[in-house]
Amino acid sequence: MPDVDPRLTLLLALADDELVIGHRHSEWTGWAPHLEEDLAFSSIAQDEIAHARVLLELAQPLAGRDVDELALGRSPGEYRHAVICERPNGHWGYTIARQYLYDTADDVRLEALEGSSDADLAAAVRTIRLEERYHVEHARIWFRRLAEGPVQAREHLSEGLEQAVPEALALFEELPDEGKLVEDGVLPSSMEKLLGVWLARLGADLESVSLDYVLSRHKRVGELVPTSSGEAEEGSTLEVPGLERRGDRWVHVGGFVGAGGRRGKHTEDFDALWEEMTMLYRAVPGATW
Amino acid sequence: MTATTAADLRDRVRRALTRVMDPEIPTASIVDLGMVERVEVGDQAIEVDLLPTFVGCPAKDVIGEDAEAAVREAAGDREVRVRFVYDPPWTTERVTEKGKASLREYGISPHWEGGPPERAVVVPLLAKRAGVPCPYCGSDRTVTESSFGPTPCRAAHFCRACRNAFEGFKVK
Repeated sequence: MPDVDPRLTLLLALADDELVIGHRHSEWTGWAPHLEEDLAFSSIAQDEIAHARVLLELAQPLAGRDVDELALGRSPGEYRHAVICERPNGHWGYTIARQYLYDTADDVRLEALEGSSDADLAAAVRTIRLEERYHVEHARIWFRRLAEGPVQAREHLSEGLEQAVPEALALFEELPDEGKLVEDGVLPSSMEKLLGVWLARLGADLESVSLDYVLSRHKRVGELVPTSSGEAEEGSTLEVPGLERRGDRWVHVGGFVGAGGRRGKHTEDFDALWEEMTMLYRAVPGATW
Repeated sequence: MTATTAADLRDRVRRALTRVMDPEIPTASIVDLGMVERVEVGDQAIEVDLLPTFVGCPAKDVIGEDAEAAVREAAGDREVRVRFVYDPPWTTERVTEKGKASLREYGISPHWEGGPPERAVVVPLLAKRAGVPCPYCGSDRTVTESSFGPTPCRAAHFCRACRNAFEGFKVK
């Protein structure tokens, strides 16, 4: 394989997360429990896919492929999003749990990237983050509403969190060549450090509604892909996804569950999504309207 | 060709852009919404940089085409290049006084005048007691029903005083 510019790896990871979760959000259009939420998820989807476009525009010269080709013309194994983004929407509890985890995690990395040494990336991120605030707000309002709502709502949320938390950790999976990105200041903080920042905030949020048990107990989901450190091994017990409460905060001590997305490893869920997302592009390359 | 100075031409281009309206807010021009970031008149070409209010604005392409057509009319035989840029980010602060008036006219509250969004109180229901002034009756007995309205840049509010639903720009 030819040498890949580490900036391209970072841009694709960021853009593909937005593109793929944006596609999932768009699946609520016409189906959400009420009109406001139909509009909310449609609007969030529109934002996310537009953000993917901005990031892919930056990736164009590095990849030698144009925006449409990058968004829709890659084979499934060339996408670099985290597995959590490709999971089906499931029930409302899972949808909210996933949106809450994704957008609060995204906020942590965008906050860091505002200080990137890559001026174009930093500028794009500043613009994107002004819009992402509204996604975080939406996630927080619903998170609290379900957590403090009737028993059934709380159960759906906790089920969703149990399922989504282990895979959400992999949003901070180490990028190939990450060391170079950190050294050059393109990525001002390592993914492991950013995970720490997010976990501290997540732990506090979960404790405030007495749902922090999801950090130490969760359902086994999806296929397992060990990290390069090999700490999350196939078949090993999944009762603790490498998280521990130390002192007054939650910290990460082990490997990721469901990682590998950053290296192009995806699940069957992505095959179906990819089929649909790229159908028109594959049928009529270069189509416009 | 009559001698047109670059300054004259620049003014003409600026004036032409004030006639380009946001297709989703027909009372407001892109100049008054603060979307025109740069107008550069060169010997060969005229370059215009625009800022989208929201990156995913679906009206962006139409606005770009309308702006290009308007500038071309003013530009004589110079080449015209219109593009969207993201730096600096568009913010609500860029909307001019005239722009705020044209928003009000269309039933959209330019509410960021009233103070920072921190005034908003999140209640357990989705609606927030935001006090965004109603563009119809002026009351601040209003709630934000959703941050996601009919376009990416607008939120949905409700006035408890005059019982009207209305919209407001999202503060950026």
